Amino acid sequence: MKVQRRPSDMVKFILRKVLLALLALIVVFPLLYMFSSSLFSASDFNEIRIIPDVPQWSNYAKALTDRYFPYYMINSVGTSLLASAIRTTIIILAAFALTHLRFRGKNLILSALVLTLFVPQEAVLYHNYRTIAALGLIDSWAGIISTSLFSAAQMLLLMGAFISVGKDPYDAARIDGATDMRYITSVLIPQTAPAVMTIAIQTLITVFNSYLWPLLVTNRPKSRTIQIGITMLGFSESGQLGPQMATLVIMTLPFLILLAFAKKWIENALIRR
Amino acid sequence: MIKPSITNKLYNVKNLQRRHNDIRAYLFLAPAILLAGLFCWYPAIKAFVESFLTVNQSGKILGFAGFSNYRILFSDQAFLNSLRVTIIFVVLFVPLNTFITLLAASLTRRKSRHSHLPEYVFFTPVAVSLSAYSVLFRELFRGKASVINRLLGLSGGWITEPAGAMATLVILGVFLDFGIDYILLMCAFRSVDRKVIEAARMDGAGGWRLFFQVEIPMIRETVLVTVFLALKDALLISAPIIILTEGGPFRSTETIMFYYYIEAFKSGNRAVQNALSSLVMSFAAAAMGIYSLRRRRAG
Repeated sequence: MKVQRRPSDMVKFILRKVLLALLALIVVFPLLYMFSSSLFSASDFNEIRIIPDVPQWSNYAKALTDRYFPYYMINSVGTSLLASAIRTTIIILAAFALTHLRFRGKNLILSALVLTLFVPQEAVLYHNYRTIAALGLIDSWAGIISTSLFSAAQMLLLMGAFISVGKDPYDAARIDGATDMRYITSVLIPQTAPAVMTIAIQTLITVFNSYLWPLLVTNRPKSRTIQIGITMLGFSESGQLGPQMATLVIMTLPFLILLAFAKKWIENALIRR
Repeated sequence: MIKPSITNKLYNVKNLQRRHNDIRAYLFLAPAILLAGLFCWYPAIKAFVESFLTVNQSGKILGFAGFSNYRILFSDQAFLNSLRVTIIFVVLFVPLNTFITLLAASLTRRKSRHSHLPEYVFFTPVAVSLSAYSVLFRELFRGKASVINRLLGLSGGWITEPAGAMATLVILGVFLDFGIDYILLMCAFRSVDRKVIEAARMDGAGGWRLFFQVEIPMIRETVLVTVFLALKDALLISAPIIILTEGGPFRSTETIMFYYYIEAFKSGNRAVQNALSSLVMSFAAAAMGIYSLRRRRAG
């Protein structure tokens, strides 16, 4: 069906495009500033420039050779990969038991796990901090990740995926003498790969980006993650701002690139046709 | 004599197998149960019980306190101020966030040849961390001599003035939630059945009417989810404040959870910490309860 074009339609069309361009510019502006100011000298900051006078590529060298930068980066990448692997495993095991096995107290356990959704982590920060301190896990990777190793929301997501696989393949595998673990690794995970990957990537990004909890459970600079690190670099002297912005670019760019690829998957997962 | 013993034995074997199955299931669930218990139920119950007890700085229980911890909390001017600040933040943030994300999603709800770039731009906030945005905003809105003032020709003090600091925090909040809200809403718009839209067009509905009377009602559930997420984030906001303003100037950006952070971790005020924990948990549980009841009735 051809929509008739009237002059007022044309005006509306242009208005829409202008509005869209304006909104996109606002959303992307902080990122553009981040890239631009990562090449700023101290005077570029002081004179409130948008584009650097003379690009200071040395900011990147300074960022990368910062005394603590390697620690920050290793801690961030290490904790997020580790948390992602452990949380995904724990959730797979729990979702498998709750969807495939029959046992006493199933409903009770399911409720106890799902009702954790009702307790915001922010509200129990203090007592969790005390627990971590009592376990002697301050300044350790275990301390940083231990509160994010389970998520009821993700467990429900995976249970939905497991239920959609059905129980027939499981019964068949049992008759063939396959163990539960073998069934999970060679049938269930491959069959529900998109859901498992979603959980793994979501956890990776959440833990990599978390700020408040790692701030609370780390004291030594060497134990800190990059998210804490960047807020502390160049806090006072503007001479440090350029390298700080360069650090922001270094830690954000991989995710921007990943997103360019992941955009299609996200849309496929969320758009119902 | 033989019969009962056989059935008894069979019963025992069956029972043993059942018990074996139970134990197997518990082993699969053990890590999840342990984590939920240790880092969710234990602290939640502990905070709730201790909110009615007098506890000293080192955690020793000194006696029953009744509601006095709550009375201490509600007689603290700083807490009342943080309540006020949080309400102002919610009132400013939630409508603005809903409007902006809906606007962006509706402008890109039809796929076209050139829609890839704006879509990607609107996706990018999910790739930028909370502390990265907070550090960027601290610089962009740093005061009278700031990038934002220079670009827009303004002269406000932004994070150095109470009203400006709140405005900066609201804008930062929108950036932090924008990506995920946009993704949910845009995908919801595109999930609306094309046939419904074509049928409405045939009936002569176009432009505004099509948008407000057909498309928006069809994505109502997703809009509600984003509003709910925005409310939750607004009520619990604290980390961006730690980086951006540290609650200032003059406590103008001190929200309840920032107040909690200061009282629990800087002042070591157990009375206030436990009482506030319990209040926030009760409120969250009530909100979640209403939300899930609504969903059950709707679906």
